[in-house]
Amino acid sequence: MEGLDGEDGQWIILMGLIISVSIFILAIIVNQSILVGQTTSESVLDFPKSEIQDIRSEVIRYRNTMVDPYPIQTDIEQLTLFRKTALVNISNTSDRLTIHYNNGVTYYHEIIQI
Amino acid sequence: MVTDTGVLYTIEGLAAGVLMITTAYLVVSSTMVFTPGDTHIIDMQLEQLGNDVLATMDTPVKFGEPSPLELYVMEHDITNFSTHFLLLANTVSQPGFGKIKFNSVIYYRKGTIFDFYHFTDSGDIITGREHMVKVTRRVFVEDASNLPSGPENRTQSVLMEVTLWRD
Repeated sequence: MEGLDGEDGQWIILMGLIISVSIFILAIIVNQSILVGQTTSESVLDFPKSEIQDIRSEVIRYRNTMVDPYPIQTDIEQLTLFRKTALVNISNTSDRLTIHYNNGVTYYHEIIQI
Repeated sequence: MVTDTGVLYTIEGLAAGVLMITTAYLVVSSTMVFTPGDTHIIDMQLEQLGNDVLATMDTPVKFGEPSPLELYVMEHDITNFSTHFLLLANTVSQPGFGKIKFNSVIYYRKGTIFDFYHFTDSGDIITGREHMVKVTRRVFVEDASNLPSGPENRTQSVLMEVTLWRD
C-alpha cells in the first residue's frame, strides 16, 4: 500500500493496545458498581442499630419508673440471648447506667452518668 | 493525486469516536448505579420500615406516660394495635388497601423458661411463600394483670416480634 510505510502499522497496534487496556479498566469499574447496592444493604441489615436503640430506650424507660430493675434487666438480658443471639449486660446504680451489647460482630458499650 | 492514505486514519478516527462516545456515556450514567434487583435491598427497606413503625408506636405522647405500644400490649388491645400498625406501615390512606401484612407474637420470660403468645396479625392466610422479614421491639409492661394467660403477673419487659411481608 502506498500510504503506509514500515512504522505506521506499529503505531496502530500500539494505539489498539492502549485503547483495549483502557476499555478493560472501565469494564472493571462498571462491573464493581453492581456490587454497591448489595453490600450496602447487607451491611445495613447486619448492623444492629435498632437493637441498640431499643435496648437503650427500654433501659431508660424502666429506670424512670420506681419499679425493681433487677427482674426487668434479667428479662432483657435473657430474652436477647434467647431470641436475638446477643449478649446484653445492664448495670444500674444510683448515679450511672451501663449498657453492654455484643452480638459477635458489633460491640457496644455505653456508660450514662445520671 | 488520490491515494488510500486516508482510509486507515478514517477507520481509526471512527473507532476513536465510538470509544469516546461510549466512555462519555459510561461516565455520565455512572452517577446512577443500577444494581440487580436483589432481595437484600427490599429486605433492608422493609426491615427499616418495620423498626421505624415500632419505634414510633413505642414513643409516648407525653414524657413519663406509657407509649401507645405499651398500652396495646398491657391491655391486650389487638384491634387498635393492628389499625395503628397498618396505618403507619402502609402509605395508602385508605384502610384495607395497604400492601404490607404482618403477624406479631410476644416472647416473655417466666423464671428460667421462655415462651410466647400470639398477639395479633393482619388477618391474612399465611401460605408459607411470603418473603418475610422480622423486626423486634422490647415493650415495657408495667401492669401485667390484663395480659393473656402465660406471662407472670409482674412488671416486666417482653419482646414483641413482628414478621412483615408485602402482599
